[in-house]
Amino acid sequence: MRMHQMDGGGGGQVMDLETAVKDGILGGGLVVGGCGGGEKLDLGKMIVELDSIETPPVFICPISLEPMQDPVTLCTGQTYERSNILKWFSLGHFTCPTTMQELWDDSVTPNSTLYQLSYSWFSQKYVAMKKRSEDVQGRVLEILETLKKVKGQARVNSLRELKQVVITHDSAKKTVVENGGVSFLSGLLGNFTTHVVGSDVIGILVNLELNLDAVSNLIQPAKISLIVDILNEGSIDTKMNCTKLIEMLMEGKDSKAEVVSSLSLLVGLLRLVKDKRHPNGVVAGLRLLKRICLYEGLRSSVVSIGAVPQLVEMLPNLNAESLELALYILEVLSTFPKGRLALKECPNTIPTVVRLLMKISKNCTHLALSILWSIFELAPEECAALAVDAGLAAKLLLVIQSGCNPLLKQRSAELLKLCSLNCTDTIFNSKCKLTIAIR
Amino acid sequence: MLCAVIENMGSLCSKQRHSPADFEENAQTAEIERRIELETKAEKHIQKLLLLGAGESGKSTIFKQIKLLFQTGFNEAELKSYITVIHANVYQIIKILYDGAKELAQEEDSSKYALSDEIKEIGEKLSGIGGRLDYPRLTNELAQEIETLWKDEAIQETYSRGNELQVPDCTLYFMENLQRLAVADYIPTKEDVLYARIRTTGVVEIQFSPVGENKKSGEVYRLFDVGGQRNERRKWIHLFEGVTAVIFCAAVSEYDQTLFEDENRNRLMETRELFEWVLKQPCFEKTSFMLFLNKFDIFEKKVLDVPLNVCDWFKDYQPVYSGKQEVEHAYEFVKKKFEELYFQSTAPHCVDRVFKIYRTTALDQKLVKKTFKLVDETLRRRNLFEAGLL
Repeated sequence: MRMHQMDGGGGGQVMDLETAVKDGILGGGLVVGGCGGGEKLDLGKMIVELDSIETPPVFICPISLEPMQDPVTLCTGQTYERSNILKWFSLGHFTCPTTMQELWDDSVTPNSTLYQLSYSWFSQKYVAMKKRSEDVQGRVLEILETLKKVKGQARVNSLRELKQVVITHDSAKKTVVENGGVSFLSGLLGNFTTHVVGSDVIGILVNLELNLDAVSNLIQPAKISLIVDILNEGSIDTKMNCTKLIEMLMEGKDSKAEVVSSLSLLVGLLRLVKDKRHPNGVVAGLRLLKRICLYEGLRSSVVSIGAVPQLVEMLPNLNAESLELALYILEVLSTFPKGRLALKECPNTIPTVVRLLMKISKNCTHLALSILWSIFELAPEECAALAVDAGLAAKLLLVIQSGCNPLLKQRSAELLKLCSLNCTDTIFNSKCKLTIAIR
Repeated sequence: MLCAVIENMGSLCSKQRHSPADFEENAQTAEIERRIELETKAEKHIQKLLLLGAGESGKSTIFKQIKLLFQTGFNEAELKSYITVIHANVYQIIKILYDGAKELAQEEDSSKYALSDEIKEIGEKLSGIGGRLDYPRLTNELAQEIETLWKDEAIQETYSRGNELQVPDCTLYFMENLQRLAVADYIPTKEDVLYARIRTTGVVEIQFSPVGENKKSGEVYRLFDVGGQRNERRKWIHLFEGVTAVIFCAAVSEYDQTLFEDENRNRLMETRELFEWVLKQPCFEKTSFMLFLNKFDIFEKKVLDVPLNVCDWFKDYQPVYSGKQEVEHAYEFVKKKFEELYFQSTAPHCVDRVFKIYRTTALDQKLVKKTFKLVDETLRRRNLFEAGLL
């Protein structure tokens, strides 16, 4: 019996008879479409619920690359999803999309064989998935019950297991939330929670949906203190979980940022951000710092822990995403006097920031210019000298000449003017090669 | 040739000394040296903990608690050794109250502090006893008289202004237990011992191992307790080398009290300065700091009646809630102030040292046990971290 070899590329299941029989897809075995008592599972529904599964190429429509729910075959023998091939026809094409042959017959025949095979396959996978997820739910409920009764090492073990289950199975997350898991876990966080227990609880909570009640339950000084302590003492994974949890708690308009943000948290975040070995941690830390800086009242604290010189120092080593975040933070801090002063007092600010102009992205350039502008306002002469030394003039010319937005151009022009006003002609001219052109 | 003779003489002499007695001496020397080597090795694994803080901040109480929790506790003889101290406390307390009432009566010219003649008679007698260098045993009769004085309205009024005088925190406890303390065969309870107040002078130390669930991994700690008053602090510096962690005790309830050594100085302001000084010590660059905000039980009750702003450090405090919520709010405010002070006083190169704040009530054994369990966990994690294992 000749079977069509699929041109679905390498790695796909070749649907030969032997395999089909072995997998029990052909008759025998489980649910076959349309017959038998019990629920009739809808193919479309199953496909949706199994959406991350690797479907055998033979069940995939060549046009949409999605699993077919109503496969029809053309006279060329190729099968497509009915709605897709009809659309193809309606656009005026009367060819077979894959073979490019012109059709001698415009009829489309339902491929009931393929449909049945597809239905069986999906049903089998669906039932297995449902069973696995029920197992998971059962396990989660068991663990939650155990947690309510035990303490000490047993509690530590159960929490660890729950964390594993929640991370691997989405259905577990729902089960925890629906069975009062969130408030129970929050209750475990208190003044006397050990690091081991606390870090696992946080590791679980971070994967769950927290509603408003849960958030307000967690935003209590004692619990936040604990999360910050754990952030400061934990492994990189724990640090990132804590950071993420705090970010989750700060979402929403009514967030009490002052409660959440303490000096210990800021120092801890700064430490996380400086850890070059873990770029993921750096990004997470910067994101939370950025969010904190959005609150005017907290900016002063950020500056007071020495964030400015430390951020400036790490700018050259950051990847694009982290760099933009860091520049954003520095820019926000530059909008108020203390921050501006800190930026100016750090000797590396100007050269480092100038170097970043036009190098990474439009956003970065925009932020960098904003920062420079703020510092210049404090001491134009001094800064201009430093900046021109670092090659600012040439960069500004680049900006002006580039196809950036008018606001940016204007800013650059203003800055350039400030430079030229505050520098002697000779120095200025020697630093930027186009002399006559700008004048 | 002479040198050779002298050399030989030397060896001759030592050869002559290898008699059986000398052999034993050499063996002893070797044994001592071996023991010294072992101990030096063991010393390296002992973690040094230092209890620091101003006078009456609760250091010695914590010290006693650790003794009760992790050593063999107090046996009957040790408990009995506290009887004189406790009785002394009683006399001291009533003297302070009586003398205080007289003072207030003079200053304020109000009838609130007026004492009747009978009361005055008792008061003078007790004040006399309290001023002596050694105290008589507390008898039932004396206890009765003290109780009469204590219950007098004028004395109670004086007690309510206790923060202006040097009324110790154990006053209420001992006054309420007078009868029991005066019993002939009185043996102090653990609680009595914890409340007993002696001003520590010099240094005291104990060595202990907080045995956890995993009995093998017990760390060995050596805890040092010191005197907190100003004249005692010059002795501190001798202890500052090689310290694993400083447990700094600050009594948060003292925001409206003045120093024993200097009645013009607010206690919490003194603590603030002291904490700053300790933080800046160069030898503590890598030392972990555990700040115990102590006497929370007294703080709880006081903060709703006496506003925090009576202390200059807290002058920007604004009460927002009422009841328990307000207590929490006030505590968080104080905690934040200490946190700010810590970061202001910590140089950038020290910022990585461990700093944690704990709310404590040193008299509560369960609480101290839980708190210490956390301290132990933190220090163990720190060790692992420094060994590169975390």
